[in-house]
Amino acid sequence: MSSTDHTSWSEDLAAYMLGALDPSEAAGFERHLEGCDHCQAELRWLEPALHSLPEAAGRQQPSPRLRETLMAEVRADARRAHGGEPAKERRGFFSGWLLKPAAGLAVLALLVAGILGYEVGRDGGEGGGPTTIERQLDNGIAVTMVQDGNRGTLQLSNLPEVRSDKVLEAWVEREGEVEAVPALLVPDRNGQAETTIADMSGVATVMVTEEPRGGSETPTGEPIMSMEVPQ
Amino acid sequence: MALRREKTERLADEELMPLVGRKDPEAFEVLYDRHGGVAYSLAYRIVGDRAAAEEVTQEAFISVWRSGGRFDAARGSVRSWLLSVVRNRAIDFLRSRAGKAPKLNFNDDAALEARPAPERTEEEALRRETAGEVRGALGKLPGEQSKVIELAYFGGFSHSEIASILGLPMGTVKGRMRLGLEKIRGELAEELA
Repeated sequence: MSSTDHTSWSEDLAAYMLGALDPSEAAGFERHLEGCDHCQAELRWLEPALHSLPEAAGRQQPSPRLRETLMAEVRADARRAHGGEPAKERRGFFSGWLLKPAAGLAVLALLVAGILGYEVGRDGGEGGGPTTIERQLDNGIAVTMVQDGNRGTLQLSNLPEVRSDKVLEAWVEREGEVEAVPALLVPDRNGQAETTIADMSGVATVMVTEEPRGGSETPTGEPIMSMEVPQ
Repeated sequence: MALRREKTERLADEELMPLVGRKDPEAFEVLYDRHGGVAYSLAYRIVGDRAAAEEVTQEAFISVWRSGGRFDAARGSVRSWLLSVVRNRAIDFLRSRAGKAPKLNFNDDAALEARPAPERTEEEALRRETAGEVRGALGKLPGEQSKVIELAYFGGFSHSEIASILGLPMGTVKGRMRLGLEKIRGELAEELA
């Protein structure tokens, strides 16, 4: 890495910390950051400044109703988690998936058959560069998956409108276990959404489901999109 | 029960998180009582509406409750993590609301607010930038630096959008962000010295 290269990346550091880089720029910066001790040290030094910004928001008092509603949901969730309530209405198609991965994956395979569609394009990868897979699903959703090293970017278009009490959440299946992708998918006015999968190692399937607002710990809705990732 | 609550209140945030991961509502309640106020204030500063701020705060805390086991102490404090979840939700909320804008009416504040980021006007961006009282170290920065930081952090604008709004080269925007964060960091270091 030349000092000029480093300087250009270093100029992006504050914008990256403030979430002001575009997704592709942020991905490029993160790749640089992984191997740059200098930027890592600068980031650690500046982090307290970033973390002080919420204090500049001024003080507002939430209504007591917020606490009541939140704690009612949390207590109900805890009762279900500890087996105190069957909560049938909340158990979705994928409940128990993590407990019975083999059975869950078989069910997933059946579901996926209905939405898989066909591959419309694939390029790259031979020289160690990014690999792009494009799929057109039977339900109309177009999927583009860009994999660059361990990092993946999932881009969806032609998404259906999402109800205000629902969100789209992406999941990866790795070694028989399903993990949530931290950032929820927020479709724009054109029905397009994008999320980043920080670690693609060992990922066999990428899937998107509709979940209650705030997201879920495990998938509860039926997948609107699912795609096997070539190993 | 009161005794248990008292014991839980004595725990540090980092000690509460494993309990939250094991679905302990009392540990979560203590976490909310400690950080719910600042979380709501941050959400309100970003979305500018009480009902929306409550919705965002609730979603963020529910997400923390459901993913408590994912907290990684090596990557920062619980408070910073929690507030970053709130900020991300609030920015997502702004963007999702922008995506549903049915019409554009420049005299209608709500419609203006609902416009997608690239189409927001300078007037609207500056209104958002000056909407809240600037406090603390951010308030001590020169206006040109605090402005770009506020637009990015509280407004959810990208550096290229900010450059377009303020009519500045992108390099200048990034430079001001950098200088601003460095100055805040310097202030914090002096306070601790």
